[in-house]
Amino acid sequence: MAAPGFLTSEWAGAVSDALTAGPSVQARAGKLQMYWDFFEKIKGKYASSWALVCRDLPGHPGRPGHPGRPGHPGRPGEAVSLLVEWGDGVVTGCQIAAPGDPGAGIHATYTLAMDYRDWKALHDGYDAQRTVMYRKMLLIEGDLLEFFKSIYFFVECLAVIGGVPAEYPQLIGPS
Amino acid sequence: MTERKSPTAVLREGPRTLTEDQVREIEQTSLDGVLHVDIDDVIEYVHKDLKSLPDYITLYRRYLKQRWDVYDLDFSQDVVDWTEKMTEAERESFIAIASGFHHGERQVEIELPVFMIGASEEEKLHIAAQIEDEARHTVFFDRFYREVVGLGGDDIMAVLDASFPWVSETFVAPFGLLAYQADEVRRNPYDERARVRYGTNYFLWIEGVLALSVMKVTLSYARWRGFLPAYYTGFTATCRDESRHVQGGMRYLQQAVRKDPTMINEIHNTLRTILASSGVVSRRIYYEPLGWTDEEVRLLFRQQLRRKLNDVGIDLAPDIEDMLSRAQPVLAGG
Repeated sequence: MAAPGFLTSEWAGAVSDALTAGPSVQARAGKLQMYWDFFEKIKGKYASSWALVCRDLPGHPGRPGHPGRPGHPGRPGEAVSLLVEWGDGVVTGCQIAAPGDPGAGIHATYTLAMDYRDWKALHDGYDAQRTVMYRKMLLIEGDLLEFFKSIYFFVECLAVIGGVPAEYPQLIGPS
Repeated sequence: MTERKSPTAVLREGPRTLTEDQVREIEQTSLDGVLHVDIDDVIEYVHKDLKSLPDYITLYRRYLKQRWDVYDLDFSQDVVDWTEKMTEAERESFIAIASGFHHGERQVEIELPVFMIGASEEEKLHIAAQIEDEARHTVFFDRFYREVVGLGGDDIMAVLDASFPWVSETFVAPFGLLAYQADEVRRNPYDERARVRYGTNYFLWIEGVLALSVMKVTLSYARWRGFLPAYYTGFTATCRDESRHVQGGMRYLQQAVRKDPTMINEIHNTLRTILASSGVVSRRIYYEPLGWTDEEVRLLFRQQLRRKLNDVGIDLAPDIEDMLSRAQPVLAGG
């Protein structure tokens, strides 16, 4: 079975399941239990939401105007967001929002944005911690100091999101 | 030069008093002479001027006299020490601690330029000098990892990639925050509150607390065992550079609070964020092979923060005192 397309509603559903399940056994094995206890403590009371924006999403088969699978919002070059809402330790909402969508005006506690090439690099195994440290993903809206009180939780979740199987469109032209 | 003592002796002795000769030795010695300077004296020297902070022109003039050529260091004896004299446990502990600095120096180099935009003309000179210092420190660690540890790579980033597996997951708390704060300052370079929050993380926490603590652990080990002379020389010279950075940074924070007493809230809120995630570590790092216990490192860590705040006259709120008592050291610096 083919993986869902990146930033499709099917992919958002898979992200929701993966985030609720949390980091893999393999990911957990490399870090101390006290770190994961802290992670679970944050997760259990986290009540914020993230709009994770992908800038410069390239056109690819399956997008509107192209033959292929339906369900890919937005147009090539547009910013498309994954909206993740948390409550009581689980994901309470996970959806895609593109300009012009009914949900496009949804407000998130924190909005973070990253170029498509860096989303793909994250999926290909680039480290989530360095994705933040190297400013590939940036906070563009929200309280910075509050956001960083839960930074380990966010970084581990970002790694989980990057690891969700998906078909990423090929970059066309210089990257 | 003072008597060679155990790495942790200074924790029990309390603050030192430097003689005029010792201060002159630290301030004026050439790179060759730095090998014979006691790291505890250099760390004390960082604090010497905190009560009467030097102005930015004075710091800039010190920079002009104290800058050193990173390519003058000869790591050949360090290679012998690393490969033939140090135990596997010592090497593992050393690299686990030093890697936070390898990456931290790169971070503080690239995140500093935006802070210059909103600074006074005199402070701009000091910051420009600091950026050059941080670039030199980045090269210092690049050389150490290539020539001594034996990590390869075509460029600086390749060596950073190679040492990254030793960097703890908790590194992202201060350095990711710094990256995002730099972006906040980039968008609003004259926002004094954003600058104070940035300065609290960069100058007070990363440079004043984390960096000096990590420097102390690895340098006192090298001095105690008589190993790694080029590392000791270059990193002690780095510590002397840090004295200017910390003093300039503390001057900035002190002036900001004097000009607007409500700025203390920005300092406290930044510390609350940093300390909120400082009660946890993701990896067990063994300090014992380098002559330290966990508790001694934590004590060193807390001493560094309290001395900076006390010396520049910044009080901590009770809840921050409580958070500080539970903090674990992030082994990184810049």
